[in-house]
Amino acid sequence: MKKIKSIGSAAIVLASFAFSNGAFAQETLVINSFGGSYEETHRKLVITPFEEKYNVKVEVVTAYSADALAQLRAQKDNPQFDVVHFSGGLEHAAAAEGLLDAIKAEELSNYGQMYDFAVAGIDKGIGPTYSTAVIGLLYNTEKAATPPTSWKDLSNEAYANHVLITDAASNTYGLLGFLMMNQVAGGSLDNIEPGLDFVKGLLPTSTVVSKSPEIQQNFAQGNGWIAPYAQDYAHTLTKAGLPVKFVQPEEGGVLAPITVNLVAGSKKRDLALKFIDFSIRAEASKGWAEALRYTPTNKSVELADDVAAEVVYGEEAVAKLVTFDANKIAANRAAWNEAWARAIAK
Amino acid sequence: MTQSLRPGSREPAFLLAPGLFFLLIAFFFPTLQLLAQSVIAVGSEAGRLTLEHYAKAFSDDFYAGIAFRTFKLSIIITAICLLIGFPLAVAMSRAGRGVRTLLILIIVLPLMTSVVIRTFGWLVILGPGGVLSWTLNALGLIDNSVSLMHTETGIVIAMVQVLLPFLVLTTLGSLNQIPKSLEEAARVMGAGFFRGIRHVTLPMSVPGLASGSVLVFALSISSFITPSLVGGVRLPVVAGSIYQQMTGSFDWGFGAALSVLLLIATLVLIVPYMVLTSRMGGR
Repeated sequence: MKKIKSIGSAAIVLASFAFSNGAFAQETLVINSFGGSYEETHRKLVITPFEEKYNVKVEVVTAYSADALAQLRAQKDNPQFDVVHFSGGLEHAAAAEGLLDAIKAEELSNYGQMYDFAVAGIDKGIGPTYSTAVIGLLYNTEKAATPPTSWKDLSNEAYANHVLITDAASNTYGLLGFLMMNQVAGGSLDNIEPGLDFVKGLLPTSTVVSKSPEIQQNFAQGNGWIAPYAQDYAHTLTKAGLPVKFVQPEEGGVLAPITVNLVAGSKKRDLALKFIDFSIRAEASKGWAEALRYTPTNKSVELADDVAAEVVYGEEAVAKLVTFDANKIAANRAAWNEAWARAIAK
Repeated sequence: MTQSLRPGSREPAFLLAPGLFFLLIAFFFPTLQLLAQSVIAVGSEAGRLTLEHYAKAFSDDFYAGIAFRTFKLSIIITAICLLIGFPLAVAMSRAGRGVRTLLILIIVLPLMTSVVIRTFGWLVILGPGGVLSWTLNALGLIDNSVSLMHTETGIVIAMVQVLLPFLVLTTLGSLNQIPKSLEEAARVMGAGFFRGIRHVTLPMSVPGLASGSVLVFALSISSFITPSLVGGVRLPVVAGSIYQQMTGSFDWGFGAALSVLLLIATLVLIVPYMVLTSRMGGR
């Protein structure tokens, strides 16, 4: 009996081998995601429905943007990924190195529903922004008597000794927040001195943190009342029971796009394009807003009031968002890191 | 007769081979690679030999300041570990079997915990509104909340806790080698407790104290998790700067140069220390 069973299972194994190259085999698409609750949501909103709709298999490799870029570089001649997701602007570096492929507008059925900024670079290999984080101001609703309205409020005496600044050298959100302070203080991407001076002025009455858990800790212990950071993180803190709210300052919040990109040399280009198109459909964009409070980049998304209040919603609000040139950021990053480290070191 | 006791000349080589092989692959090769990276130019003149990375490290006082802080803190941490660790090790060596096992367990237990977890524990204790602040407040010693987070004192406290076991355990090894009769003889001959410690126990435990303190110094000078979490970004240390160069600024050449300089500076301090202590009764 045992023998028969094992022969049977051997036959099944053999059969599956035989079919794996045949017409019955499911096509497999290889993508990356960012792990944790993000990846969970990603599976629920995009990956699993896509597998079901097209009867294909999606293999998910957990790799953050920097790791994904390193793998793309290493596999340049024989890419293993078909679709790669990036946050923090690395798609610009990857596209410039020829690791990503351009996409034509007519190749995406949802193209017309997207905000312009979300599809602005697809002809250069920069994949569509399927949702975006927004950097603005987080504040403690119980401690901060008056809610902040401007980036300049970071230097408001009402918040003195309770300002959190995120390290710009090690944290992308920190860098984007700093670039916005710099712009408000009169600087530009060619001159960050005004921003550095502004930050130096804040240092005596603020705490510099480098990782998001430190922001949570400082808010939880009552030390942090106000912090330039991402809107989705405000939601994380709210879920943790902290009285935290996000505001988009009057000068605008900063876009921190999350993109879905076509890998150059993918042997499954058509399927990969279908996946990208599927990622930017309204339903997915809406799901990201509902689950994690990422701002939708698809114009046709309709949100319930409570969700809409916690993302940047509607064309008017979205128009106020500020984008910084990712190529300029990449070119200057090392020099800025050094200038920043010098400015904040005791 | 003597022939049979002397191991064959090939045997030690045979036994050493796996360790040497591992050292070669995991230490010497990467170190050489780092050395090469530190003197090779990148960018427009890629591949050319250059000293520009070293020049940058020496050209301004920003990196000199970071190096000074790193060495200063490491020396303080090592000194405090010696001050706390030696008496603790002596007490442990003299305690009864059960108490000693318990003490060893308490000392070693933190080593079983990830350094990140332990450091997060310190964040809770040292942070604003944390246990330390709350206690001092409750005792009426301070009015406002106080925080040792993002201070050099905080780094020293957290690092001493992390590194103390290394010193205590190596010293305990040395202490256990001292025949009890020697200390008894000293006491019989009229030496008091402290005199006995000073003239018998301390000199004879020098090998353990030396290797323990070298270990503590080397670990603290190269550590970056605890200093970066407790000290924060405004108190950079050398290892943290190397990490930042490698992963944040992608300036591998400069990061490599800093690594090589750290290695040289550490050797310059440790080698004379070892020579000196071995003359003082060590091996």
